[in-house]
Amino acid sequence: MFALLLAVILLLMAVQIQVNFSKLLSSENTRDSIANFLVINRELTDANIGNSRLPDSLIADLQKQPFTEAIGTLEASRFKASIESNSSRFPFYTDISFESTPSDFIDVNTTDWHWEEGESLVPVIVPTQFLDIYNFQFSISQNLPQLTPAIVKMIVFKITIYGQGNKTEFNGRVVGFSDRISSMLVPRSFMQWANQKFATTALANPSRLIIKTKDPSDPRLINYLSKKGLKTDSEKTRFSKFRRIVDIAVLILGGSGLIMLIFAVLIVTLFIQLTVTSCKPEIILLLTLGCSPRELTNLLLKKFFSPGLLLVTIGTLATAVLQYISHYLLQKKQVLLDPFLSPYTLLVACTLILLIAAANRYSIIESMNYTKKILPKATNGYPNETKEESVTA
Amino acid sequence: MLALQSVFPNALRDRLSHHQSEIWNKEVFFSTNSYTSLVAPSGTGKTTLIHFLYGLRNDYVGTITFNDKNIAQYDAEALSTIRSCELAIVFQDLRLFPQLTIRENINLKIALCKQPVRANIDAMADRLAITHILDKPAHICSYGEQQRAAIIRALVQPFSYLLLDEPFSHLDQENTQKAIHLIHQICAENKAGLIIADLDHNHYFPYNQQYSL
Repeated sequence: MFALLLAVILLLMAVQIQVNFSKLLSSENTRDSIANFLVINRELTDANIGNSRLPDSLIADLQKQPFTEAIGTLEASRFKASIESNSSRFPFYTDISFESTPSDFIDVNTTDWHWEEGESLVPVIVPTQFLDIYNFQFSISQNLPQLTPAIVKMIVFKITIYGQGNKTEFNGRVVGFSDRISSMLVPRSFMQWANQKFATTALANPSRLIIKTKDPSDPRLINYLSKKGLKTDSEKTRFSKFRRIVDIAVLILGGSGLIMLIFAVLIVTLFIQLTVTSCKPEIILLLTLGCSPRELTNLLLKKFFSPGLLLVTIGTLATAVLQYISHYLLQKKQVLLDPFLSPYTLLVACTLILLIAAANRYSIIESMNYTKKILPKATNGYPNETKEESVTA
Repeated sequence: MLALQSVFPNALRDRLSHHQSEIWNKEVFFSTNSYTSLVAPSGTGKTTLIHFLYGLRNDYVGTITFNDKNIAQYDAEALSTIRSCELAIVFQDLRLFPQLTIRENINLKIALCKQPVRANIDAMADRLAITHILDKPAHICSYGEQQRAAIIRALVQPFSYLLLDEPFSHLDQENTQKAIHLIHQICAENKAGLIIADLDHNHYFPYNQQYSL
């Protein structure tokens, strides 16, 4: 019984760990979803310096790869631009460039992320790293105040765009911070309008792509990038190594659980058969007296199934407690796990209950048949009157 | 209705091939409301016949019908219904659960009935003088006491036939008379037929039919 309980816990833990890891990689949560989107560019070498554009054939090939779920281009600004403070209390000025990408690839959900021609306010998304660099390096060295994301979002600054002999000014405001793309992002509609009106260079293929991948830990992705001379943030593909470790851990846990489960179910089955066989005279007498074989089978099923049901329930509860503890401990390390068991784990628990019920049913029915088979048939010679005879029921 | 049509037990073929029997290889009908006595010396198949009629064995040639259907063709579930609602039996070897008390043995039979049963176990036990052993395990009771308990167990269920296999073999005359009166009364209440197998001719009941095996 203890072996069965341990087997149930190991199996459910294996499933839950796999689900936890998959969820961490594909979570909708901003902090965790960075790994699902990879910004890709050419690896610059002496040979290809100055030629970092990505050809259409490569983009089409990348699109066809099994690990690619969606692909988006990062369109760079082809005009000069600067931003400067509107406030004399907090003066700054810098030349700047922008990029844009389809909204689906941006990890900031805000209703402010739109721009139409004629609007004077341009929303901007900046990399989270920029704010970190400012708060933890620049502000300290320049004796400037540190800024929270909420304060930054309140600051309205001036954006000036130059090109083709024109100069236009807009108000800019930061509407969000991206963990995914390390560029100053503006809405695609603004970028297309501004490039058309102010571009000083011709339209060319993009230098950077952003791909959405089903599994950033897929080793085929890493191999493909390496083969094509492409690179991405290696931090994001480190999951490939983690994935192998987790896979091995899950394999060991699941494998041990499965082997234990097989032995435990075998032992339980033998125990049931032994118990039923040892009660052979009583079962025969009950059938002789008019007990319904179906009711007797159901009674035995209920009797033997209840401990199995209890064990799986305890095992599921124990796994749920472990999951909650993991959630609580890892929360402090910014790893967000679900506090509750996944539907897959519960599905496996239900499957285990069905498996145990099926094993019980099989062993009880087999035992009942066996009990009847081993009785003397009394077909040869006259049976002793005190000896049990075969029951045709 | 219970009926035998040319029934002959396989196991007794060699032994009884030259034996004159009023049952084997004959057409015999046992109707409800009638009392039948089967008399035979040891080894001529009394218990075998009782077991055939109860559907316990089917190692015979010929046909036994119950309610116009071959009893060998009833499935296990149907047989269990017949045994709990139509056929009551007192086995020669009693077949009580030794580890259960007499009361538990009787209550178990009531529990197996598929119809509601209103039996007064204490009153029946009082009539057969076994009140004092009702709550004792069967295995510590004397064979005579167990025989009376087996009779009560047979009488608490609804039945249309009562099969008795040497039911008074271990009872003295006084207790036999008590058991006969109780059986007679309950059979009348159930409008049931009675088939009793015994070694010798007897006058336990007012028989309508008597056969020698």
